[in-house]
Amino acid sequence: MKFALSLGGIAITAGLVVSAQAPSADPVLQSMHDEMERSRKLMVSNLESPYFVEYLLDESDTFDVGATLGGIVTERRDQFRNLTVHVRVGDYKFDNTDYVGSGFPFGTRYDLERFPLDNDYMVLRRYLWLATDSAYKSAVEAISRKRAALRNLSVNEQINDFAHTEPVHLVRPFHKLTIDQKAWAGRVRALSALFAQYPGLRTSSVELNAGDGGYYLVNSEGTEIKVPDRLSYVRARASAQAPDGMTVRDYAIFQSIDVSGIPGDAEMTKAFKTTAENVVALSKAPMGEDYSGPVLFEGIAGPQILAEVLGKSFSLPRRPVLEPGRNAAFNSSELEGRIGSRVLPDSFDIVDDPTQKEWHGRPLFGSYEVDREGVVPKPLRLVEKGLLKGYLLSRQPVRGFEGSNGHGRMPGSYGASATGVSNLLVTSSGAVPVAELKRKLLEMIAARGKPYGIIVRKMDFPSSASVEEARRLLAGAQSGGSRPVSLPLLAYRVYPDGREELVRGLRFRGLNTRSFRDVVAAGDDTVAFDFLDSQAPFDLMGASGYVANATVVAPSLLIDDLELHPLEDELPKLPVVPPPELSSR
Amino acid sequence: MSQELNRNFTVLKEKADPPPYFISYEVTEQDYRGISGTLGTISSTGGGKERAMDVSVRVGTTKLDNYHNVRGDRGQFTEGALLSVEDNANAIKRRLWQETDRAYRSAAERLIRIKTNTQVKVAAEDDSDDFSSEPPVRAEEALPTLKFDETGWTERIRKLSSHFQNYPDVLTSHVSVTAQTDIRYFVNSDGTRIQHGRGFARVVITASAKAADGTDLSTSETFEAVEASGLPKDDVLMAGIDRVSQDLTNLLRAREAEPFVGPAIFSGRAAGVFFHEIFGHRVEGHRQKDESEGQTFTKSVGTKVLPDFLSVMFDPTRKKVGNIDLNGWYDYDDEGVKGRPVLAVDKGVLNTFLMSRAPIKGFDHSNGHGRRQPGAEVVSRQSNLIVESSNSVPETRLRQMLIDEVKRQNKPYGLYFRDITGGFTTTSRAGLQAFKVIPVIVYRVYADGRPDELVRGADIVGTPLASFAKILATSDKLEVFNGYCGAESGSVPVSAVAPAILVSEIEIEKKAKSQDRPPLLPSPVPPESSRSSAQ
Repeated sequence: MKFALSLGGIAITAGLVVSAQAPSADPVLQSMHDEMERSRKLMVSNLESPYFVEYLLDESDTFDVGATLGGIVTERRDQFRNLTVHVRVGDYKFDNTDYVGSGFPFGTRYDLERFPLDNDYMVLRRYLWLATDSAYKSAVEAISRKRAALRNLSVNEQINDFAHTEPVHLVRPFHKLTIDQKAWAGRVRALSALFAQYPGLRTSSVELNAGDGGYYLVNSEGTEIKVPDRLSYVRARASAQAPDGMTVRDYAIFQSIDVSGIPGDAEMTKAFKTTAENVVALSKAPMGEDYSGPVLFEGIAGPQILAEVLGKSFSLPRRPVLEPGRNAAFNSSELEGRIGSRVLPDSFDIVDDPTQKEWHGRPLFGSYEVDREGVVPKPLRLVEKGLLKGYLLSRQPVRGFEGSNGHGRMPGSYGASATGVSNLLVTSSGAVPVAELKRKLLEMIAARGKPYGIIVRKMDFPSSASVEEARRLLAGAQSGGSRPVSLPLLAYRVYPDGREELVRGLRFRGLNTRSFRDVVAAGDDTVAFDFLDSQAPFDLMGASGYVANATVVAPSLLIDDLELHPLEDELPKLPVVPPPELSSR
Repeated sequence: MSQELNRNFTVLKEKADPPPYFISYEVTEQDYRGISGTLGTISSTGGGKERAMDVSVRVGTTKLDNYHNVRGDRGQFTEGALLSVEDNANAIKRRLWQETDRAYRSAAERLIRIKTNTQVKVAAEDDSDDFSSEPPVRAEEALPTLKFDETGWTERIRKLSSHFQNYPDVLTSHVSVTAQTDIRYFVNSDGTRIQHGRGFARVVITASAKAADGTDLSTSETFEAVEASGLPKDDVLMAGIDRVSQDLTNLLRAREAEPFVGPAIFSGRAAGVFFHEIFGHRVEGHRQKDESEGQTFTKSVGTKVLPDFLSVMFDPTRKKVGNIDLNGWYDYDDEGVKGRPVLAVDKGVLNTFLMSRAPIKGFDHSNGHGRRQPGAEVVSRQSNLIVESSNSVPETRLRQMLIDEVKRQNKPYGLYFRDITGGFTTTSRAGLQAFKVIPVIVYRVYADGRPDELVRGADIVGTPLASFAKILATSDKLEVFNGYCGAESGSVPVSAVAPAILVSEIEIEKKAKSQDRPPLLPSPVPPESSRSSAQ
């Protein structure tokens, strides 16, 4: 493959850029480039011209098929292009973003409907022209409102609104979605029929989502990018009702960059049967009780808890400028202002490395060449010897840090990109065999005279909860004080004699970034956990318009002083009518 | 479906408290394809097949049940859950069972609330039952299959949409085609078992522009048929694009309308929309019982509500007028009741209302107008509204009558409403009993013989009872407006058929408009020149 990455070579002078690039052969990039040149001249009355314009065009071709108990429920092929125009007025120090109304479309939105799929240069130009016009008018409105709001506020510290970066030129071909739809529909149907062997389940489903495409990114600093953005997955979910009415559930997911990377039927059958068996076992399991003490996060649960609690906290969203007395949705990070502080015992290091493509011969799911702001990432040391060394940064400066490290991965709030982990590699120099972790757990509970310890083997992250359930969890957690963490799906009591007992209906209380300082030991069983990162609470499945591929590689963890508490939901009664018989064929 | 219905109904009746007295399942299967394009390019293609199910569980008695309307608050029980599109018994039965359980719980819960409410409030004026008894129906009709030439239409949409390149003043334009089959399976515990269905096909042409003063302008035209093959040929669609573009270009240059009260003519299509909004929504049966409603006509049965030369029929059995397919026909409504013609107004006198199975005082039975979009609860809705007139004159004569009326009233001009996109009407008691309809193409017709002049930015406002009294005459030519009507039970296909009408007085007011400037930069490429270089 031709390597077309070139860094630098283009001068930036006061926001006005002279692009020296040869015209691109790609009609999309060409039309973006040409319309961009013209957009610099945008001006309304005596207000300022844009200092930065960016076109981000996502292109996607997807095939979805979903089935339940052997019957297809949905089957859809969809192609679309989605254009996002970022226009910044003002300058890098102070612009129209980072205000509560930034990104809000003020005024005219032309009736453009969907962005054309055919590459007709003239029509593409027209669409870019009208979309830029709307974005510019909104930007001008936003900056004047932001200035007005700031008149009544005293600002302690002026942080720049946008960081400079090197222009990048990178063009890669997109992959065409090649998929045998009929064969896949048949596989999904057959996999969903597995659940018919478990009459105790209340709901079950299997879905395939195969997608190919990528994005084009052109900005007025000279960046010109076309890179693939690919994702396919097969996911199974099942739920049942315990005798007291509580809903219990489990899921399994296989993700891959290319649909051909999804494992064969044998592997999926095995996993989905385990899912069904887990749910049946949970529906019969006793309700968990209050617990405080050491918890062992074994296998996938180790990287899951790191991804959710620590991984998310390496992002520092910025509080937007607000009119006095107004509120805005905003979640600050627990790690803000804690550079140099301890987050883990000193045997731990954490690196986020989008450039690494493989780990022990296994492809890493979170790799990328350039982020969605056109910044080329480098390996990033986040934690060294247990101390916090850095954050995930986009082009939005945060206190003490200016300059992106290539982690602007998702659409964010208030005109900025949201950051997320790529391949988060967690290592410990003090790893011990996993069996040793369980022994240690038993020692600790024996020493404290506790009847049992807790092992968590799977967290509900990303969450498979319904939207209503997620809302209840958020509401419940707010009254509890700490930022909510997803529920443990598979939690076991482990008794002094080593016997294990599955329990249901527990949630963590007060599990946060500080909890990791109480890591007692790490296993030598490093596990890679692939997931779809999003901006939804608990990364709730299907709740976000954009997801980023990510991997966390981490060991099992034994953490002391955690609290678990039984869920206090009001439980519905069991149905009056028993379920219909399931026929075997 | 019937097996699962019987099983659930039997067990719930035996063991549940309160027991249900009625259950129905309706499954709506929609298979659709669509393509949309702009300026010679395709912007989206899509299609798919879905089955949505609506469960209705009634607890209590026909006298008082969980659907009882409490001062505007209607019960919502169905969720339109998706069902397997394949005839797989395991998948379908499980889903029906889950939905029945869910609907039963919320039905039982609401009945308790209603019983409390009826005890603390004064008795309602209309003490009719909550549910009518209707004889069970069994019907198994031949079902339509979707036929759509994807490749052919892709090329046609490219070709048709590129025709807009001849009109440089058009800012955005779209041409889209959709074809759909809509199959409904209905079973209930009275023994009704029905399967029926029909097709829908539609071409929609839209264009928009922005005037120098910021006014957003848009024009559109639609063509409907039962099957995609029945849609008009390209020359007719091209002519539609020419009209849409020409109207828009003329509107850009037209002067803004001034507030005005005086005589006017509504074209047949405009009159159809006018009747649908102003009259049709007020004869929907459930509004007569709801005490939060304005109840314009509730006590008018047997009295004159329109001039005596007008009759209004709602006829879901009528499939065509002339050679135009109507959009609002169906064989059975969404409560499994056969659709039948309803002569709502006979020679000016109000006869009856549009009825679902929710009775109102004096009207105990459905007349097959209980309709919904999947996922919504059924209420009474319009079908094909047809206005008939015994005082009709040729259109040229009607125009002369308008000019005479203008002179008689000493006005400089009258108005001609050629096209109306739609409108709103408030029927609730808390709101104003008024309507607003939005004309797109309005001309001033001058008394002194000057040519007609297009004006823009007018809304028609008025109050229903006053407006009907002012209809003087109609033309002798019926025109069809096909569309989709949105109300409590979602969007349903409807038609309005009417002759042009002359009214002695109508009021228009200025429309609210955008203050935004038109695009700051000129178009990147003059549309005329792009044809030669387009791929």
